[in-house]
Amino acid sequence: MMKTIPEHVRNSWRRRLLAGLLASPLLWLALLSAGRQWPYPALLPLEWTPEHWSRLLTGRSDLAFSLFFSLGLSGGVAVLITALSFGVSRAVAYHRRRRYWLLAAYLPYVFSPVILAACLQYFFLRANLAGAVAGVFVAQVLITMPYGVIFFTNFWNGHIRSLEQLAYTLGSSRWQATLYVLWPAARGTLLTGFFQIFLISWFEYGLTQLIGLGKAPTLTIKVFQYVQEANLFYAALAGTLLALPPVVLLWINKRFVFSRML
Amino acid sequence: MLLEAVDIAKRFEREEVLAGVNVSLPASGMLSVLGRSGSGKTTLLKILAGLESPDRGKIVLDGEDITHWQPQKRGIVYLYQEPLLFPHLNVFENIAFGLRLRAWAEADIRREVEAMLADLELSDQANKAPHQLSGGQKQRAAFGRALIIRPRVLLLDEPFGALDAETRANMQTLFLRLAEAMQLTAIFVTHDLKEALAMSHRIGLMQSGGLKVYENRRDFLNEAGAGVQQEMNFWLNLFETEAIAPSNPR
Repeated sequence: MMKTIPEHVRNSWRRRLLAGLLASPLLWLALLSAGRQWPYPALLPLEWTPEHWSRLLTGRSDLAFSLFFSLGLSGGVAVLITALSFGVSRAVAYHRRRRYWLLAAYLPYVFSPVILAACLQYFFLRANLAGAVAGVFVAQVLITMPYGVIFFTNFWNGHIRSLEQLAYTLGSSRWQATLYVLWPAARGTLLTGFFQIFLISWFEYGLTQLIGLGKAPTLTIKVFQYVQEANLFYAALAGTLLALPPVVLLWINKRFVFSRML
Repeated sequence: MLLEAVDIAKRFEREEVLAGVNVSLPASGMLSVLGRSGSGKTTLLKILAGLESPDRGKIVLDGEDITHWQPQKRGIVYLYQEPLLFPHLNVFENIAFGLRLRAWAEADIRREVEAMLADLELSDQANKAPHQLSGGQKQRAAFGRALIIRPRVLLLDEPFGALDAETRANMQTLFLRLAEAMQLTAIFVTHDLKEALAMSHRIGLMQSGGLKVYENRRDFLNEAGAGVQQEMNFWLNLFETEAIAPSNPR
């Protein structure tokens, strides 16, 4: 007699299979980052070495600097834009011409980032911001700010407005209503928005390349640089590092944000 | 009069919602306000609470012109149809909210909130999150949160509209008991005729941007436009029809 596999066991295996499929490109990258010599038609590199990783971990590779530079840049952009766009989105959401403001917020995404950067480059050159880290920061602020506004505008719905107004009639000042009512209500949304803005900045290439003129060595720039140099194993190492924060953020989202929102 | 609103007008784009409304409310007095959807009841309450500004008119509270005062300075609490409990706070903390804003001592907060919870028959729910409560319990907690700060005027915007008939009747009784015990001054907006009559002997009828106030139930019952006669005729006709020809048991 044939034994049927219980449903929960099947589901568990399906989840593991899906997780394995999603993780496989990352595992492959990590594997490749420890490779050396991979002549055609070998299926895998012929030699393996911990040297790339040890150079990174001992600070002898410029990738370590790129990693911390990218973390600092994207972290800074994400903190600033989350705070700014949350406030601006409130003004947009309650404005009687909300639709037009939102339409304007979508405009930067009509063009590809490279074309947008080419359009903006003149102004960055005039402001002495081209080829400077500050210029890249400003450029990333410009590209992430509209996204933040679009993302947070949906938070300001009728329910939130009623909660805020109720707090006022109970005696809250605007500051108290923000601190004790809006902030706790928005915590999950703010965290998700922060992650998404961080990721946009983290993977940004076009603007960073054109405005930064190579002076802002983010990890994304490094990956492309190594690929162009055909430095396959370092490209894999940079790619692995590039993929790590999104994986960590995804895990945090799943563990702490979605579970509370559901 | 504790509260007086004179010649209040409000227009939203092309629509004139309020066209010179006058309301007066004595201390510890209650006014029921009836009106169809879109008749301007909510707009009037929001103007009184300071959540909307009037295009014209004046609001006087206890002799002071509060027309341009911020809502937090007025001492007028506006209660929505939805209980709107703060989702991140449990029942105890929801009720304590206004006292914490006023920086009361912890022991005083505990004493007041526990007394209010007992009054509202919610003592055993104090540590529950809002989503764990029934509709009636949520509304009671919302009352407690408003009443504990002793508002000068309480504005209720169809507070029982979302409740089932039995819970609604219980809530009406509870509210009347609390209103009397605390000598509340309140405006109670509803679209339910029976509820309006049950909550106050003074009844206001909002229509065509105006508010007509009837000082007693008899005047209101005799008003042709109030819909009371139609309601009475409906029940009388039903009763007579059923009395003459009992319904088919099938």
